[in-house]
Amino acid sequence: MSTIQILFFFLSVLAIFSAIMVLISKNPVHSVLWLIAVFFAISGHYILLNAQFLAIVNLIVYAGAIMVLFLFVIMLMNLNADSEPRKHQWMKIAGVISGGCFLMVLISLVRQTVEITGKTALVKEGNIGLIKNLGKVLFSDFVVPFEISSVLFLSAMVGAVVIGKKD
Amino acid sequence: MNAIIFSAVLGVLLMFSGIFFSKKSTITVIAVVSLLILFIVNIAENYGLFAITVDTKNLLSFSRFGLFFNSILIAATLIFVLLSGKEIENTSVNTAEYYALIMFVLCGISILTAFNGLLMLFLGIEIMSIPLYILTGADKRNLKSNEAALKYFLMGSFSTGIMLMGIALVYGATGSFDLVSVMNKPGSAGVEIPSFLKSAGYILLFAAMCFKVSAAPFHFWTPDVYDGAPSVFTSFMATIVKAAGFFAFIHLFESNAALLGPSWKILVSFVTVATLLAGNITAVFQQSIKRMLAYSSIAQAGFMLLALFSNNDLAREGIILYAVAYCMATIGFFAVLIKVKDYTFEGFNGLAKKEPLLAFSATIFLLSLAGIPLTAGFFAKYYMLASVIKSGGALWLVITAVLFAAVSVYYYFKVIQAMYFKEGNPEVNAGSAMYRTLLVLLAAAIVLVGALPSIVLNWFYF
Repeated sequence: MSTIQILFFFLSVLAIFSAIMVLISKNPVHSVLWLIAVFFAISGHYILLNAQFLAIVNLIVYAGAIMVLFLFVIMLMNLNADSEPRKHQWMKIAGVISGGCFLMVLISLVRQTVEITGKTALVKEGNIGLIKNLGKVLFSDFVVPFEISSVLFLSAMVGAVVIGKKD
Repeated sequence: MNAIIFSAVLGVLLMFSGIFFSKKSTITVIAVVSLLILFIVNIAENYGLFAITVDTKNLLSFSRFGLFFNSILIAATLIFVLLSGKEIENTSVNTAEYYALIMFVLCGISILTAFNGLLMLFLGIEIMSIPLYILTGADKRNLKSNEAALKYFLMGSFSTGIMLMGIALVYGATGSFDLVSVMNKPGSAGVEIPSFLKSAGYILLFAAMCFKVSAAPFHFWTPDVYDGAPSVFTSFMATIVKAAGFFAFIHLFESNAALLGPSWKILVSFVTVATLLAGNITAVFQQSIKRMLAYSSIAQAGFMLLALFSNNDLAREGIILYAVAYCMATIGFFAVLIKVKDYTFEGFNGLAKKEPLLAFSATIFLLSLAGIPLTAGFFAKYYMLASVIKSGGALWLVITAVLFAAVSVYYYFKVIQAMYFKEGNPEVNAGSAMYRTLLVLLAAAIVLVGALPSIVLNWFYF
């Protein structure tokens, strides 16, 4: 097993374990901290795929900015076990059944699908994730969606101001 | 491309108009003028008179059908603003911003009527949804409005997450956002079997789109959000936005029904029947008319899903007619509802004595929603059912739909009964002369389209 494979499996196990811990942690602050671990593991995968720009952006935006926001919100809301909403028993059962069905579909998908059997990710070879190539694609093939997304951000900003402003 | 560019620019202009004009009615006038300009440039593009062309690398394609549908939705927004502009002014001090957000929603709709790939579909859906979350919470002093906005935002974001997961799976399968190449490329083994990744991706997309058009079993957000939002914006959300969502839904699955195989028809018919059932049966038990309309909009979505099921030419004509009939009737009825103080059925008691004109036009809107002949709603429903029969082999679906349409007559007629046959003294704001004229014109238009549906459909071909 080469170093890269060892790294790959290590990061995958880390990501899955942290993701499970996000769900089963009782304390919401712990959940957020585990989520940060998930993001770090995924960023590690991006680096293995030679997508350094994506890895850094993932760390800065998700693990950095958004998670800090999450932590602030959770700490400001001062959640504890008493204020947790009660869930019906049958709601939990319904959730388990539908989630389990979906899991089954996804697992059978990964086992049977033609496109991904016998293929591994382009470790260390792909160069699509390099900032130079990403920039080229963004400003040639995808320039229209890039420009149009400005409307999305503008409307989000207008909304933030409208909702945040005192009447 | 005209409508996308103009709606974005006019939205920004409207946003700034709040600085220069302190009078709210001036801003409404500017909004009406902007919508007129938008309508004209979209029509101009449809007839090739004036079109800004941008090389979109095949991400957007402006078909006649899409542009025509877009024109209908812009016209519906224009009618909506003309009828309910006063209420938008009264909702809050931020009138200019709300008009700007409505313009941005129209920008999203213009993308949705022209998308040619999953990337643009996602952008369109998001540009359409995010302003709506804000409009839902427009009445900031009202706790119900706040709750509705938060609920809509959280559920909407979650469904967007599901949609993104679906897009990621499809992209993983084909390496492209393109709708066409997604459908036709054989699997890498060289045999034409439906790809599992693609199918799974499309199932997730299906779920997310069902959420956006409030089809059962993803409809649970609808009554709370429609009930909590300020009534003017409920009217906007339930009509124009929902029709645009349906256009995107049908366009997305137009060419890939084969991908999901025979299970596709089972899936769609299940969702259709569930939507009709959930919408109609729950609407019967509502006490508040606004909430009843929320459920009725779910029920109407069930009828529009029939177009997705049959997926032929007749369905395409039908969805145009349905969008016209449903938008006109619902916008009109909401315009009446807003003027009445009490939203319960008792609040409408005796409306015909006090305001005969309002009651009469409301009756026509309700008859159209119920699908009574000689109103636009009848032919809309007729085309939907005819398209299902033309696609063949699903007579039971048609019979179920007709049965539920009969159920819907009950709760629509309950309002008519309250207005005409019960005594009461409802608190109602009569509205301006222009409002009343427009209301009568709208009712007349519904009867006209009901008598001659071809006047709408002919525009599609000429």
